[in-house]
Amino acid sequence: MRYASQRVAYPYFAVALLLFGLQMVFGLLMAAKYLGPDPLIDVLPFDRAKAIHTNLLIVWLLVGFMGGAYWVVPEESRTELWSPRLAYFNLALFTAAGVVAVVGYLFGWTAGNKLLEQPLPIKLVIVVVMVLFALNLIMTIWRARRLTTTEGVLVAGLLLAAVLYLPALIEFDNYTVAAVYRWWTVHLWVEGVWEMIQAGLLAFLLIRLSGVDREVMEKWLYVIVGLTFISGVLGTAHHYYWLGVPGYWLPIGSFFSALEPLVFLGMAMYAYYAIRRSGLAHPNRLALHWTIGSTVFSALGAGVLGLAHTWAGVNKWTHGTHITSMHGHMAFFGAYVMIVLAMVTYALPGLTGSRDEDRENGVGLWAFWLQSGGMFGMTMAFAAAGMTQTYLERILGIGYLDTQAKLQVHFIMLVITGSIFVLGVALFLWDFFFLAGRPVTAASQARPPGAAAVRA
Amino acid sequence: MTRRSARRFFYIGTALSVLVFVALTIDSHRQFPTLTNEADLTPSVVAGKNVWHAKNCINCHTILGEGAYYAPDLTKIAQLRGDAYLREFLKDPSRFYSEERDGRLMPNPNLSDQEITDLIAFLTWVSRIDTQGWPPRPILVRGSAIPGANIGGAAPAAASDDPVALGQALFNAQTTGCAACHSIAPGVNLVGPTLAGIGARAEERIRAGDYGGKATDAAGYIRESIVDPNAYVLTGVTYSSGGRSLMPAHYNTLLTPEQIDQLVAYLMTLK
Repeated sequence: MRYASQRVAYPYFAVALLLFGLQMVFGLLMAAKYLGPDPLIDVLPFDRAKAIHTNLLIVWLLVGFMGGAYWVVPEESRTELWSPRLAYFNLALFTAAGVVAVVGYLFGWTAGNKLLEQPLPIKLVIVVVMVLFALNLIMTIWRARRLTTTEGVLVAGLLLAAVLYLPALIEFDNYTVAAVYRWWTVHLWVEGVWEMIQAGLLAFLLIRLSGVDREVMEKWLYVIVGLTFISGVLGTAHHYYWLGVPGYWLPIGSFFSALEPLVFLGMAMYAYYAIRRSGLAHPNRLALHWTIGSTVFSALGAGVLGLAHTWAGVNKWTHGTHITSMHGHMAFFGAYVMIVLAMVTYALPGLTGSRDEDRENGVGLWAFWLQSGGMFGMTMAFAAAGMTQTYLERILGIGYLDTQAKLQVHFIMLVITGSIFVLGVALFLWDFFFLAGRPVTAASQARPPGAAAVRA
Repeated sequence: MTRRSARRFFYIGTALSVLVFVALTIDSHRQFPTLTNEADLTPSVVAGKNVWHAKNCINCHTILGEGAYYAPDLTKIAQLRGDAYLREFLKDPSRFYSEERDGRLMPNPNLSDQEITDLIAFLTWVSRIDTQGWPPRPILVRGSAIPGANIGGAAPAAASDDPVALGQALFNAQTTGCAACHSIAPGVNLVGPTLAGIGARAEERIRAGDYGGKATDAAGYIRESIVDPNAYVLTGVTYSSGGRSLMPAHYNTLLTPEQIDQLVAYLMTLK
């Protein structure tokens, strides 16, 4: 840790991981509900569990991104953070809003709009949090008068994420129009500005982990982000196809979203190039695993599996089936979960004042492989369920409920592989909270160099 | 590629994409009123949309294919099931489905009569949105197109101009929705009774003592059942409620007299 204020990343990561753990509880519950009958149908029906599962994901990833940014920005701009106190306040506010929202969902307080279930007061608090967060980063960079391309991409991604949340605040009487603008937030987040955040964090990690030349990396970062927007902005149309929009969106959405895998191919090549140049010599092997893992899983999950059903002629049959769950789970895991875990793993030795070489790797590696294997299995279970559903329900015309009964074996696989995944998450949390050591405090940082880990 | 050209690629590519995207969005707004029948967007439809959101329906069901995959898609449900059926269903879903039999059950949404009216108005409006032909075949809730029901294979335009073939195409078409509730396989009762053998059964029914309709022959009985489902009501939880049939009563206006003739001709062949 070069700058004392990077310390604020620790509570961000801690909150993010706790919410990640909670998200798993609801995920497993939902998988079990697919097997039915559901003994909790009157206490916690599927719809509430799902709203909580997806909202926790969004909140903890955002908290993780913010923690990552608080680690990266001081280091890139070579300065202390403008206001650590504001950062702590922001975290408390965001966490409180998140907890209130989750408890609210349990009791049916919801806006009932997919992925944007947050009731209006919660949405407004989120806007405030994002504005304050942006203010803190901008003031830090402004004071240092130093902005690298890597952090520029990361910060621009976070700022645009805040701006693109605004369409979610508007209400439309026409459901079709509302659905179109809902995608301005949801799609342009996950297939636009969040990819910027991923690319920024990835560039930072690769530069640090492999020591590869910054000039080259940042040049290609422009190309990757350029491809993200060329494919992603017009690619929004692949969500429009059947909403009641003009027909020209079908070929446009098909063509441009088919380019989206190029972004992930670019990131994978990026990582490959960095390793070719400098090898895997960095002592933080765990962070290397998660970083490379992120490029592989996002290329597969977001790239290949997204491409699998993005063409309008295919999507016509697969739209609204488990094919979407297949793509969604691996894409989110690869692109966003793994990059946040990579950032956490990379920063953890610094945050806890230990040396990379001394970090126990066994539990961490098990966490990595159980999560990777579990997610691969879950994706396969969803894929089998989705293909069967498409064939039986959409092509042969067998009723929805009768088809679901025939998918039971895939849901059993989902519960098993999901449990493996959750075990991996539990190990990651155990490693973070119990094995990694206590976080560095202001007092321990004040000790003379050598006692605390001041690493170059 | 130099750093400068990489940066130029990013700025120009992004700017062009955003420009095209915004221009097409503006053009879409020009077309939304037609594509979504904005003229029919009554206060009741909007109120129904609010019920849809307040009850978190989208986190189990899909609508326009968007939502969760725990319950059936409802895009065309108003066309497939009709007003009367949906009203009874929404009052108490457990009368129609059970966890033991179907694996899933919808919790009672506890809606007032007004909320039910609004929700059905919303779903009816949704079912008429021009969805570019989606879904390509009707998505059924329960039951099956096999054996015998032959759903989805035939498009509304039939292969010949034989009235029976035209009637069969109509029976399977999404616009009529007949096949979504009636199987033509013997003994397969979906939401509505099976129509296997209806051509023969109609004859017996008008001769039975409890028949109070106006039909005098089998074809007349079938025609009467289509245009006025309440003329003779079958008892059954999903068939009728309080002596009133749950079948949509709009076929008189939905179909031309010629089309009704074709349907009758087709159903008369089921003996």
